[in-house]
Amino acid sequence: MHYIRTIVILLIIYLALTGNLQLSNIVLGTLVSTVAALLLRPQPGPTDLRRLPAAGWALIRYTAILAVDVVKSGIGVARIVLDPALPIQPGIIAIDSGCDSELGTALSAHALSVTPGELVIGIDKAGTLYTHCLDATHSAEYVADAQAMRRDLLSKIFP
Amino acid sequence: MHTFLEFIAILAVIIGTAFSVLGVLGFIRMPDVYTRLHATGKVSIFGVVLLLLATVALTPLEFGKGLVLIVLLVVGGPVTSHAIGSAAHRIGIPMKRAIRDDLAAIEQTPP
Amino acid sequence: MSDILALVLNIALAIHIALIAVCVWRVWRGENVIDRLIGADLVGTLMLAVLVLIALIWLNAAYIDVALGLAALGFVGTIALAKYIADQQMF
Repeated sequence: MHYIRTIVILLIIYLALTGNLQLSNIVLGTLVSTVAALLLRPQPGPTDLRRLPAAGWALIRYTAILAVDVVKSGIGVARIVLDPALPIQPGIIAIDSGCDSELGTALSAHALSVTPGELVIGIDKAGTLYTHCLDATHSAEYVADAQAMRRDLLSKIFP
Repeated sequence: MHTFLEFIAILAVIIGTAFSVLGVLGFIRMPDVYTRLHATGKVSIFGVVLLLLATVALTPLEFGKGLVLIVLLVVGGPVTSHAIGSAAHRIGIPMKRAIRDDLAAIEQTPP
Repeated sequence: MSDILALVLNIALAIHIALIAVCVWRVWRGENVIDRLIGADLVGTLMLAVLVLIALIWLNAAYIDVALGLAALGFVGTIALAKYIADQQMF
């Protein structure tokens, strides 16, 4: 079952890259994806199709919130760069990710790093993210709230 | 419809170029390595992604390739920044004008 | 409208090539090794933007493929260099 899941994801990427939907191309893509999946040896995991709509909706909300965050903090960093006085207060603050799984911690670290102005420098075993912030005084309390909301959405996508 | 898409492409190219200029400006102006990483990450996320959105709007055949490249950049850019920042902290490059450093306090106390 | 688009694309191409020159100067006169590594990574990203702009100007899809290859290889190369600097060994 997990092999079929990997093959479907690889086939979608293959079709997006080649950009032609003829039957011969789909057959060739399925063959290539099968060989790639056999070489990859995906780990078995729970696949529950009934959870798919809730997970998809949570994924869409997560992406939208992330996009809004990225645009807002990008404009903030642009204002800092354009300011002649360069008003930065850099510092490394520790944020508890709150996720149990390694995948959740990694995705939280990615979401924190993808917004300009915050950059994860180190992660320890307990899942604490050491984040370098351009403005450490303001973002310390703001980041914790965003992390709590992100953790709830991530737990819906990946149980 | 085509004129509308061209308008969107022109807007995306102008904003993307502006963010590229801002990123390189920040790369020159920022005082130390860690703050420079914030500025350069902005180039890859805003500059290139907006240019690719212009490509997707103008040439419909390259829809899939542009989207795959956008996903590759958005997933890979933070990983690159994290690798460089982690390496800088590992070899002990100091932070300038820093107000707090939680990671150094952890590393100095032996487990 | 198409003339304006061509003008904007050419100006953006010139700006990006000037930015690449600035970054190469920073790599040459960098403060430390990490600074030069950031500069090299930024040169790769801006080269990606130049390839996308050339694909738009000449309406040739092959440059997008080149950009895909450059993005994948630059990603792996920068991470390998960062790991080499941090650990003083590749593997």
